[in-house]
Formats: sequence, C-alpha cells, structure tokens
Amino acid sequence: MRTFKAISLLLSYPSEDLQQAMPAIREVLADEGLVAGGALDALTGRLEQADIYAAQEEYVLLFDRSRSLSLNLFEHLHGESRDRGSAMVDLLEMYREGGLDLDGTELPDHLPVLLEYLSTRPLDEACGILADAGHIIAALHERLTRRDSDYAAALGVLAALAETTVETAEAQAILTQPDDNPEDLEALDAAWEETAVTFGPDPNGGCSLKRDLLGKIDLARLESIRAHEAKSAAAKTPNPASAAR
Amino acid sequence: MSHLLDRLNFLKTLRKDTFADGHGQTTIENRDWEEVYRNRWRHDKIVRSTHGVNCTGSCSWKIYVKSGIVTWETQQTDYPRTRPDLPNHEPRGCARGASYSWYLYSANRVKNPLIRGRLMKLWREARKTLEPVAAWKSIQTDPDARKSYTQIRGKGGFVRASWDEVLEIIAAANAHTTREYGPDRVFGFSPIPAMSMVSYAAGARYLSLMGGTCLSFYDWYCDLPPASPQTWGEQTDVPESADWYNSGYLILWGSNVPQTRTPDAHFYTEVRYKGTKSAVICPDYSEAAKFADIWLGAKQGTDAAIGMAFGHVILREYHLDRQAEYFEDYCRKYSDMPMLVRLDEQDGRLVPGRQLRAADFDGGLGQTNNPEWKTVALDEKSGKVVVPNGSIGFRWGEEGNWNLEQKAAGEDVRLKMSLILEQDRDDVAAVDFPWFGGAAANGFVIDERAGGILTRNVPVKRMTLADGTEALVATVFDLMCANYSLDRGLGGENVTNDYDADVPFTPAWAEKITGVRRDKIIQVAREFATNAEKTNGRSMVIIGAGMNHWYNMDMNYRAVINMLVMCGCVGQSGGGWSHYVGQEKLRPQTGWLPLAFGLDWSKPPRQMNGTSAWYAHTDQWRYETLGAEELLSPTAPAGDWKDLNLIDYNIRAERMGWLPSAPQLKQNPLDVARAAKDAGVPVAQYVAERLKSGELQMSCEDPDAPENWPRNLFVWRSNILGSSGKGHEYFLSHLLGTLHGVQAEDLVTEGRQKPVEAVWHDRAPEGKLDLLVTLDFRMSTTAVYSDIVLPTASWYEKDDLNTSDMHPFIHPLQAAVDPAYESKTDWEIFKAIAKRFSEVAPEVLGVEQDVVAVPMQHDTPGELSQPFVADWKRGECDLIPGKTAPNYIAVERDYAAIYKKFTSVGPLLEKTGNGGKGIDWETAHEVDLLRALNGEVVEDGVSQGQPKLDTAIDAAEMILMLAPETNGEVAVKAWEALSKHTGREHAHLALPKEDEKIRFRDIAAQPRKIITSPTWSGIESEHVSYNAGWTNVHELIPWRTVTGRQQLYQDHEWMRAFGEGFVTWRPPVDMKTTGHVATRALKAGEKHVKLNFLTPHQKWGIHSTYSDVLTLLTLNRGGPVVWISEIDAKTAGVVDNDWVEVFNANGALVARAVVSQRIKAGSMFMYHAQEKIVNVPGSQLTGRRGGIHNSVTRTVVKPTHMIGGYAQLAYGFNYYGTVGSNRDEFVILRRMDQVDWLDDPAGEGGAFQTPGPIVSHDNPRKEA
Repeated sequence: MRTFKAISLLLSYPSEDLQQAMPAIREVLADEGLVAGGALDALTGRLEQADIYAAQEEYVLLFDRSRSLSLNLFEHLHGESRDRGSAMVDLLEMYREGGLDLDGTELPDHLPVLLEYLSTRPLDEACGILADAGHIIAALHERLTRRDSDYAAALGVLAALAETTVETAEAQAILTQPDDNPEDLEALDAAWEETAVTFGPDPNGGCSLKRDLLGKIDLARLESIRAHEAKSAAAKTPNPASAAR
Repeated sequence: MSHLLDRLNFLKTLRKDTFADGHGQTTIENRDWEEVYRNRWRHDKIVRSTHGVNCTGSCSWKIYVKSGIVTWETQQTDYPRTRPDLPNHEPRGCARGASYSWYLYSANRVKNPLIRGRLMKLWREARKTLEPVAAWKSIQTDPDARKSYTQIRGKGGFVRASWDEVLEIIAAANAHTTREYGPDRVFGFSPIPAMSMVSYAAGARYLSLMGGTCLSFYDWYCDLPPASPQTWGEQTDVPESADWYNSGYLILWGSNVPQTRTPDAHFYTEVRYKGTKSAVICPDYSEAAKFADIWLGAKQGTDAAIGMAFGHVILREYHLDRQAEYFEDYCRKYSDMPMLVRLDEQDGRLVPGRQLRAADFDGGLGQTNNPEWKTVALDEKSGKVVVPNGSIGFRWGEEGNWNLEQKAAGEDVRLKMSLILEQDRDDVAAVDFPWFGGAAANGFVIDERAGGILTRNVPVKRMTLADGTEALVATVFDLMCANYSLDRGLGGENVTNDYDADVPFTPAWAEKITGVRRDKIIQVAREFATNAEKTNGRSMVIIGAGMNHWYNMDMNYRAVINMLVMCGCVGQSGGGWSHYVGQEKLRPQTGWLPLAFGLDWSKPPRQMNGTSAWYAHTDQWRYETLGAEELLSPTAPAGDWKDLNLIDYNIRAERMGWLPSAPQLKQNPLDVARAAKDAGVPVAQYVAERLKSGELQMSCEDPDAPENWPRNLFVWRSNILGSSGKGHEYFLSHLLGTLHGVQAEDLVTEGRQKPVEAVWHDRAPEGKLDLLVTLDFRMSTTAVYSDIVLPTASWYEKDDLNTSDMHPFIHPLQAAVDPAYESKTDWEIFKAIAKRFSEVAPEVLGVEQDVVAVPMQHDTPGELSQPFVADWKRGECDLIPGKTAPNYIAVERDYAAIYKKFTSVGPLLEKTGNGGKGIDWETAHEVDLLRALNGEVVEDGVSQGQPKLDTAIDAAEMILMLAPETNGEVAVKAWEALSKHTGREHAHLALPKEDEKIRFRDIAAQPRKIITSPTWSGIESEHVSYNAGWTNVHELIPWRTVTGRQQLYQDHEWMRAFGEGFVTWRPPVDMKTTGHVATRALKAGEKHVKLNFLTPHQKWGIHSTYSDVLTLLTLNRGGPVVWISEIDAKTAGVVDNDWVEVFNANGALVARAVVSQRIKAGSMFMYHAQEKIVNVPGSQLTGRRGGIHNSVTRTVVKPTHMIGGYAQLAYGFNYYGTVGSNRDEFVILRRMDQVDWLDDPAGEGGAFQTPGPIVSHDNPRKEA
C-alpha cells in the first residue's frame, strides 16, 4: 500500500521536493483510507508551509541528534551491542527475499527504509512486520507526543496499523529510558545519566550491565527527577517537556 | 529366527551409538535448533583492522562481516612469534577497544554533512548572485551576518547539506582567506599520525600544498617530554613493552601500566615471575601500586625531589665512595660528564657558564670546521685539552668523525671525569647554584635557603683562552656532584656525606618534601643501582604523564634520566627510560613525511608549534598569572629578563628564528612575494630589509589584530575542544566567540605588568575564526561547536596504517565495509576538498608566489646557527635570514593544480631524494617502483607521468615504499648515508633484510616487524628487543646534542638564566587561580576545600579521545566524576556520590565525587577527557552547563622550551617547543546544594532556585 511509502516520505529529511509532493501524499493517504481522516494533516500542512531551513534544523535535531528518537529501530533494541550487526543482516535478508536490495546510504533498520519495503508488500504482511516493531513505534510515538511534535502523528498512524499501544511491556521498557534533546546540549545529558552504584541490600543498586537493562530498573533516578521537577513546578510555570516525564 | 536378512555382510554402518569409550553418544533427533547458533556466528569474510584512536595499544583485530554489515569482532592472534624465552605479544586488545567499535552503527554517528542553518541560508542567498569566493567574502564583510552564526556556535541549529555544497563553501572560504589574508591563516589540527597515518596525511597534504598551517600536537598535549630533546636530541624514543621482560629492576613512576597500557601489562606481570623487583612511585594507591614490591607514595608534583635524592645516593655509593667500573666507563663514553665547563664571574661570584669549545682556545685546537660547536675535555693519557669525536660540530661540514669512538684528532684518548685529585686541580672554587625550594606555594613544603643560592666548592683548573683571558674550568661531573650536594672533602657549605642531614637532595631532605620515608628512598636507589651494576644496565624506569604534565616536568624527567645515565642503563636491553605518553612512534616516518607535508611537490611546509599558537590565538596570554621573575634564577646573567611577560619571550623566540610563527607576517605572504618580484629582490632579502625598516611586521607581535587571526580551522581525528584544549573556556570566548565561562580578568585589569613585545588591545577580540570545520564520525564536543561537520569513516571503513612504540609491528586498518551513511574516509574528504578548491580558487588565485618563514631546524646545519643569543630587533646583531632570524623561502603555488598534486607523487623526490633526521639518500628507484605499483598519471598537467596517488592504499604504498623501516633496500641506503657522517659501517644492521619490501597486502595478511633503520635508535633483532639508545651505545652513533653525548648539563644562556643548567628541585608553580576571583563565589562560611587538580587517563574511555560509550560508562558512575580523599571530603562536607562543583578563575565544572582512600589528601583526580555532552548538569557559578576537565585549566608556556638554533635545542615539528602543562592548577571544590539539568529552553532566565552568584549569560566577567 502506498500509504507506507507516503509515511516513509514524511519521515524522511525534509526537502523542497518533499514540500512539492505534499498534495500527492495527501491524495494517497485519502485514497487508500488506511489513515483516519485528518490524522496527518497537521504534519503535512506544516511540512508544506514551513521555512525549509527551520524544518531541516528541526529534523536534524529530532532524528539525527536525539538518540532516544533515532529512526534506526535497532538503536532502541540493541543500542551499541554487537547483536545489532546480525539483527540488521536478518532485516536485509528479508528485503532480499522480497526481491529488493538496499540502495543509498541508509542502514536496513532505518524506519523510512522499512516503510518503503512494506509499501511493496500485501497489507496483511506489512502490518504483521510492522507489528514486530510495534513497541518501538509506540515508544517513539509517545516520546514525540511529549515533545508536542507533529511527527508524533505519523508514528501514531503506524502504531494503529501495527495494532499496538504504548501499554505493552516492551514499549514501557523502552520508555523507561529517559528522553534526550540535544539542543543546547540540554536534556541529552540527563538522558545519559546512569544510576549511582550503591552497595548493599538495595535491589536497585549494584553494577548495571548495560543501558537498556539499567533503564528498566532506574527507579531511583526517575524519582529524583520527579522530586526536582515538583520543586521547579512550584517555583514557576512547568516546562511541558520535563513535566511530562 | 535368522537375522541373516537384517545383518550386513559386506558393509558396515558409519553410525556409532557411542564413541570415545562410551563418553560420547550419537543421537538422531532433529538438530535444526543448532542453526540459531550457527547463524549467530555466520560471516562472509574476516577483515583485519584496528581502532585508530590516540592509543599506544595498536592492537590488530579480526572484523567479521556478513552481507556488508559488521557482525562482530575478535582479537587477532597472529603476531609474529618472539624469540625463545620471551613471551609472545598476544593477546592484544582491551575491553575499551572492543566496545568502541560499535560507534559504527551508533545513533550518535554523524550521518550527513551538517552545517549551521543560518550559515547555509546566508550562503544560498549570496550564491544566487555571486561566484563562490565572492559569496563567502560577502558574508565575511557583513559583521552582522558573520556574527549571526559565530555567536551561536555550540547551540545546535544544524541542517544537512550535500557534499557538493559544503565542499564548495569550504573551498571558497579557503580561497578567500588565502587571497585576503594569506594561506597561513588556514589552520589544521590533527594529532597522532601513528594511529592512522594516511588519514592524518590527507589533511596535512592538502594544507601543505595550498600553504596552510599544520599545528603540532605532541607538545600541546604535553606528552612531549622536553627533557628528551634536551638530553638526547631525540623527540622520544623508548623500549618496546617486550623489553620490560628483559629488565632486572623496574620502577613505575607516574605511570599506571595495568590501567592505561592494558595490552602490554602482561610483560610487566610476567617479568616478576623471573624475580624482577618493581618499585612504584605515585601519589595515589593506583592499580600499578598493587603490583609493587615497594610503593613510594610521594606527594604529587614532588617527583624531582625523590629523583634528586636517588641521584644523591647513587653518586655517593657508586661513583664517589666506590667507583663502579661499569658505571664510570659508561659515563665517560656516553655522557657529557668529562666535558669542560667555564665558570663565569658575575658580581664577583662564580656560576657555571658555557661548555668550553675548541674555538675558545688558541688556534681552535686545530679545528677549522665549526670550532664553536666542538666541546673539549682533558685527556688522561696526554694530559692535554682535546676535542673528542662526536660533538655536533663534527656532524656538519665534514665527514667521518661524528662518532663516539674514544678518539680525538685520530688519537686514542681517555677522558678525565674529575679534577678531584690534588695533582689534577689548580684550585678549589666556590660556585653558585640556584635554589628554588623557597618558592613553594599551595601547601607544598617551603624550604627557604639564604638568598636562593647554594654555594658549593668545586675542583677547578686554570686555563688560558684564545682571547688571552684566564678562565676557571671544571668538569660537568664535578659540577654535578656539587649540584647534588655531595661532600667530597673540599670543605664549604651546602654539601654533606650524611643522608640524615637537612641539606637539599639528601634522603632526609627528600622525606621532608615528598613525605616518603628516607630509608625507602635509600633502599630503592641501592636496589636500582646494584641491579644495574650486576647486569650492565638492566634497570628501567617506566615513566608517564603523571610526571610530565607539570610545569617543571623537565626537572622530574632530568632527575630520572640522570639516574639512568649514572647507572649506565640507557641503550641497554632491559634498561633505560620508558616514556609512554602519547603515541609518538610513527615508525615509517621518512616514508610518511613526503606524503603528509607534500614534500614531493614543494618545500618547506608550514608547521607551527601548537601550544604557542593556541596560547596566542585563544588569548590565554592576556590572562597570564605567572611572571618571569617567579621563574628566573638568582644566578641569571645580566638582562631584561624580569621586564618580559611570557608572551614576550615567545615573540622574541619567533623573531630570532627559534620557534615558528603562524600566521607569519601581518601582510599577506602572496602580496609580499609579488612585491619582492616586482622589486627584483630575492624574497629573503626583501623581507629582511622591510622587517628592519618596520614596513613589514611579524604577526606574533600583535596576535589580536584582525589581520593576524587564524581564519579557517580544520579539525580531524581530534576532539580538541573536548579533550586537549587547555583553557577550554578561552577557546570558546576568543577563538569561537560564543558563550563561555571565563571568570578571570585580564592582566592589565588585574594590575599586572603589561607585555613589552606584544601589542595590547584594551578589548580582546571574540570570534576570530570565520569557519570551523570538523571531520568526525560522532557529534563530539568539537563537532557541536563547529560550523560544518563532515561525516567521516570509522575504523572499520577505511584503509590505513598503524604503528606504536609499544611493539615493533606495522599493521593496517582496512575497510571491512563501506563508510556508513554519507560518510567518506579522511583521504577521500580531503581529496574532494582539494578538487573543489582547485576548481573554485581560480576565481581569485592563479599561479602565486608564497613566502614561507622557517625557523632554524634541528637535524639540519641550521641547528648550528646561534652559538650566542642575539636579537636583531634590539640591535644586538644584523637580521640575517636563517641565521639570526627565520629564513624566508619562496614557494610557488599553482592553486588550480592542488588536486593534481594531491593525487600524484611529485617530482621532487626524484630530484632531491628523501631523508630524515639529518641524513639523505636518493630515492628515484623507489619512485619508479611506485609508478609500476600504483600506475602513472596519464592526464595532461603537472602530474602527468608521475605515480598515481588516488586511493588510500596508493598513499599507504607510498609510505611503505619510501621508508627504510618497511623497505630493506632503503634501509641499507639510509645506513650507508649515516656512515658518511660517522665514518663507521652500519649497513650490517639492515643487510639481512635488504630484499624485504613490506606491501599493504602483506600487513593485511599478518602484522610485520619493521626493519632496523637509522631513523630510530633501537634495532630489530633476534637477540635484543627494541630499546632506545641502543645504536648510540653499541654502534657508537652520537646523540644529536652539542656534545654528541647524553647532555646532562644544559649550557644555553636561557637555560642558565632560568636556573636549569643542572637538574634541581623546583616546586610546582603558583597559577594563582584560586584567589579573589574564584572565592567571591563562595557564600560566607560555605564549606569548601582547595585541591591540586590532576588529570590521569581513565578506564572508561579510550585513551584521551572518547568517553561517551555507555557500555563503559555504566562500569563507573555514568558521567563525570572527581576522586577526592576522605579527609578532604570531610572538610568540604561531601559524601560519596554527591554532586560537586569544581572551579577556579578559569572556569567551572560539575561532577560526582568519588570519595576514596586511594587519593592523597590535598589532591583531586579528574580522569582526562570526560565529555561535556554526557550527563553534565549546570554550574551554579557560570549558570551554564558544567565544563570539561580543561574548563579549569589555562595554558602556560615556559621560556626554556622556546630556545632554538642551538644543536639539540632547535625547533622541529612536535620535537621541541612550548608544551601545554596543566597539573600545577588548583581548584576549589564545594558540594552543590542544587543540581540543575538546565532542561528549560535557553533564555527563560536563571535556572536556580537557590540564591547564588548567577552570572549573566553574555559576559560573566563584567557582572560577576
């Protein structure tokens, strides 16, 4: 279904070509009817109207520089572990079985790449594949929603197609990892903060093995952030980004 | 029932139910599940590569690739075997290397070329109507436009760009800068070529061909130990780690081998099984200390005091009370101890002066060639003053006598070490030695001695010199014994034969300064020397950054070197100094130099010493707190020493041709060359005349004038702003013009002495750079501050070469996979820049003449240019280019042909040969072989018919073909060339390997051991491991110093002026950064503690460059930490894991405290290069994100490192020059009562809830 292709385009780096293609994208979305009416209007509208530099700066900030929003799906599953290599090989072989091969410079786990592939597959199969990545998509959707980003809608549509919600345990696991926002080197740092090593009976202490494991058990840190935010909130207007956390 | 039908008669089944005596059993159930594991480990190919990071490990790895994707990696285990009785090198590689590989697919990877959106918009707008160079010019000449992007550096706002577009912008910026100001305003910084030689060479080649400036790094990192060039005339040459295994006694001094040299540590572990004893000297209870048989926990920064006490004991017990025969013989032959020193009279008192030269005697003692550069000694056989072979005067202008044979004028001699016997001396004279121990501050022990002078008696001889004067003369050895306070029965003060006396340099005195018990000092000195005596020098010191990063590092190092020389350890297997700080050893150096600096096309390249450049251009000199009077010796010769600021010394050094300059002249060198041509005057003469008249000025005299700013800066293979940038906040403020945390006031505001040579501007410039371009594969701190970020290939995506000082092998990096995303290799990026530049430049540049200023270089005849110091500007001599001032050399630059030159081997190698370190050989044959190997250029143009240099492998082949270390035929030629100087046969060292030519495909198959070459002073053999100084001792090749011997006495006027003629004890200097500027941030009664700030290397990042891999960070505390002692923690009210703020006048940083008994009270560790981009909250002091470790440092330069034109004290790139020391710094530490992550968007006002000194975001200094 070309809807997948359309969303692949919407999640690609904004260009003037993309802006000009927006009416066609809308048409595909409307014709195929896979997307609830108007769900992507805000995104397509803004991409079409925005100053191209502003749109590009935003895209680089969100997807190139924010680790927690990376569109490379395995970043959220495997991070910098060596499992990532073989996972990507599997994905690549799926594309090849479908008669397609990677062209260009993106890695196989890049979401727009996957979506482009899905656009060549029957709907049932496409939704099934998408469902495999459902928890990541749901988590990305949640994160973008917290940032009030129009891009959230695109992920929301995909989550609906994958018939997944953020309530699944897998999605929650990803979401326990803090968001990052590299603008002015800001929340990036908080996102990368690790739990303190404590010794003793505390089940949340001890030496963590890796980040994703850590993210699941890092309750102490979340509490401290919440406490801090509560204090900040008392002092002034809350910042939507941090209050949502 | 018969089983006949069921039984096999002629066949037997292959299937066995059991095997291995019933221990094994076969089964027939489905085993498909095993496929999961098989698939897990499947791969299409294995490629050899390594991690090309600034790490001496240099470990070869296997990279497994499936479907074009790297799936996993393991350590290689195929290094060539070592000889019997020596452990093998494997396994090499550590957890850090393994974890960093996964950068390859990290979300942190830079995927596309990035540029500041604002700059992109300006550019596209300008390009609508203008040609590229004009477009760039229009942006630069509009101050608002320029500022719109420079002042937001570090604050995001990147957009992707196409390669075409960014290349054009870079090319236009370079061309505009060249036309407007001169090519020397295009700077490039990249460190440590040994880790990926071709990648370094790519940028350096482009810059050198277009006339840009390459900045040195080894000195800037303070990894260069200036004591090495001072003593040996060699940048750094050290034993390979396998030689530790040959040692009988090992001192680890300020080096933490198990932590920082992981792949090599096994040799240290193994040698202890042979019975080798190990002493460890370091202030903290380090990983290495756990290996020690004896641990000397000396107070940080007092290493020289321990070293002096060791020397005191060794001289007393092995040279004076008893003469160890091996030691005495070694010192006579291989050190300057027998050389004669003139005692100078100053105000009626005597001080050690210059080493006497043949020229000081009647008729020059028969020497007509360079008599002022030939040192003299007394011959025991003839009783006469002789001119022994080997001093530097024999190196140039004649052949055959530059060797260490015990000969003078063809006769055998035995040099006299001492005049102590009554029949040998004419008199006993009282000689003054400087004393600095009273100048201690910041809690170091203050040891005042009357007048800051120690007068001691020395046996002397009277000699009549050529000018008719009668001089008092002493040997270096006798002066040295006096300097070490050894009582030799000559009476007088300040000497002793009692180890318990309170006289400087006794073990008792050292106990007072260092806190180490005297009996331990005596024990280690005796064990070290006794082992060396019994084994002919197999005692070794492994020495590290902990010793070298102090302002007075030369005293630390020379105290150690003296010990080693006294015990005959240097140049002996298992002995000597092992300085492993920075990866300095680019083994195939002479093959690499022409590639890197474009020497195949034009000479000389523009090179600049990094420390002086950053000191000037980041305006750190404007905040100098260290005055010359604090450094000067009370015995200094007459002069205006105290009137000068440190920047003034640097300016004089540049003016006299000692140190290089960048930029060189205030005027555009292209215009200068054209004017000289128009005037029909040779360039050097033209420049000299106009420098004298004042029509031309040197840039160094006014670093803040806009004409003298660096305009474009390339950074590649480096994270200068995140790791090595001492004075980080000054970089941000003055060089980049963005937000910064500098708290200090400039020196005029503070009421200190104004510089006399440097022009003072009341307001310092902010934002000198027009364009900062960084090539990286991750968003490093430097990339974040850049205008353009180019995505580069990581270590498994490019072909390159790698060597180390830790092992003698050369091995490759290889492109296991194509560069991910849009990235390209450094070689391809600079090749593309060269191409675009060649296309864009003709808009404003054609075939131009350039003038390149070169200082007097070490290992060239120029090193003999200044036997005496004279400044032409102050009328002390005439300005003679290349003699009393830099030389000015015309170089043609065909700006449209830069790409053609970049991609071919130029004709100059065939015309003028190749060489290095003072020897040259013809190399046309090798260039021909390259023609055959790489193919030749067929297109028209300057490069037609030359060997191709298209790919990185072509470039690697050029290095391998030209270098003696990888081409046996060249090695033989090089040794023969050296034989001309020494008059001795050396080629036997390489002849067995004459037919060996190591190619890139060879090292791809297996690491190869290099071939013995005269570039280095060790040999590769089946009998000894690589050890520095081996060929000096065993082949009698002189060290490249004044005396040709290990130079323990430094007789240059500036050395004497600053009290470093002989080694002595100098306490750390007082940087004065914890005074009122810093303490005003403290609330009344607020708990805090003042600590010495130390920055050793860590476990959780790779060496000094990368510390943002989460896998490793989770092994520690996740983000930046500082280590403090329990005592200091208590004082400051800090408990383990508290957030603390660490600050001084230079800036502030924020970290968690690790409270540990390991740390000595009064000091603090912050591991080097923890990233600002990971887990750093805001600083209460600056109101901004806490800085990096260099936020609280500032570079400070040292006059003795600026000396030039004087044998071993002459400039060489990364060889000699100012160094960026940083361990004398003190900081204030306090607990943070409020941790703020600055999660609110910028501009919403102060982020703190607690009242505190919140500083305006725009200019913290004015309003604080």
